[in-house]
Amino acid sequence: MCASCGFPAMPGHWTEAGAADAPDRLRARFRRAQILQSVLPAYGLTAHDGAQVPGIQISTLSGNQTIARDLAELWSAAEQLSGEPVDPLDPRFIGGGEEGR
Amino acid sequence: MSGPLDGRMRLTVLGGFLGSGKSTWLRHQLYDGLFKGAFVVVNEAAGTPVDDALLGRSSRLAVLAGGCACCEARGDLIALLRRICDERSGTDSRGDRLQRIVLETSGLADPEPIVEAIRADAVLVHHIVVSEIVVTVDALHALAQLRGEPQGRSQVEVADRLVVTKLDDADEAGLKRLLATLRLVNPGAAISGAIKGSAVALPPFDDAEPVSLSDLAAEADRAPIFATRLAIDRTIDWTAFSVWLSALLHARGDDILRVKGVLRTPAGRLLLQSVRKVVQSPEILPEQPGDCERQDDTVVLIGRGYRGEDLRRSLRYFAGAGRA
Repeated sequence: MCASCGFPAMPGHWTEAGAADAPDRLRARFRRAQILQSVLPAYGLTAHDGAQVPGIQISTLSGNQTIARDLAELWSAAEQLSGEPVDPLDPRFIGGGEEGR
Repeated sequence: MSGPLDGRMRLTVLGGFLGSGKSTWLRHQLYDGLFKGAFVVVNEAAGTPVDDALLGRSSRLAVLAGGCACCEARGDLIALLRRICDERSGTDSRGDRLQRIVLETSGLADPEPIVEAIRADAVLVHHIVVSEIVVTVDALHALAQLRGEPQGRSQVEVADRLVVTKLDDADEAGLKRLLATLRLVNPGAAISGAIKGSAVALPPFDDAEPVSLSDLAAEADRAPIFATRLAIDRTIDWTAFSVWLSALLHARGDDILRVKGVLRTPAGRLLLQSVRKVVQSPEILPEQPGDCERQDDTVVLIGRGYRGEDLRRSLRYFAGAGRA
């Protein structure tokens, strides 16, 4: 809550609602980074969240990078950087294409 | 009806095509005390408001005339809701504080942009949570509207509850066909019947043939809508689920019309719901012993253009990411 106006900060992105306290939030950030590191390489992207500063760093293999504050921004940034949206129903993720990606 | 667990007001969005009986239904609910003490907002696309006359029973009523709240009058709606929030903030939280708003949309409104606008507003998101989208469906004209009016169909698609009105005007065979068709267009919605706002039992329609969806399609290549129920077991943690769903809605949000479910997380039981790409900030539900548990950890996705089994496989891939 803001000490000046008494108004609570904007609630986080909906994906962050499952964490009850600070340790949970930290665990969730590491877990989120772990999943992204497994999913994004299929699109020529990497993700990094060191939990030191807010946001997730997302980069292309050629070095273009940006910081996303939450997952909504991250998926938009991923689409912009790779030229296509990351689609969970892509054959790479449902076992219909290159297995093991 | 759940209480204001997090202090936010509940907003019921009442939609339905032009002339489908929204005001009549609402008036009867107010008469019956269903929305007791609610602030009623009526939106009329036409320049002259008439519905407020029907709704004289509501103690608190505001009319937005001259534009549709989902498009040109959206700014007016947001301003009005902010005013209601401001007034409420000035009242004692222990007293008779406003708990519910009912928004009757115009007959041409799409409920989705309204829900999105409220969620996106930095003030309203703290004060209002959309609790239900009720859509009235005219027993006589709905099939024609579903065929010829993309807006009418879109309203039916996003509803949590469909109230089929004017049952006394419809013949039974036609009514059953309509009910079967509604079930096909929105498999997740509860369907009930009403005559002049009073609840009336619907005939059984399991054996009725729906109108072919290809006949209904506004665009020839639209695939049929169906519901997929996903069981979220212990191998699927909230983070994996939310990373997966956020990506899915980003990539396929136009095809996934509705997501609804209750998930157990470290923060408690979360009620999750979305209308197309818009996910409402999840609400924490009270712990309830007994039969509620069977509804937990289940998420229903309603949409088109994909296979239900692929959703399950994809979710398993995300949940297994980084794990041996």
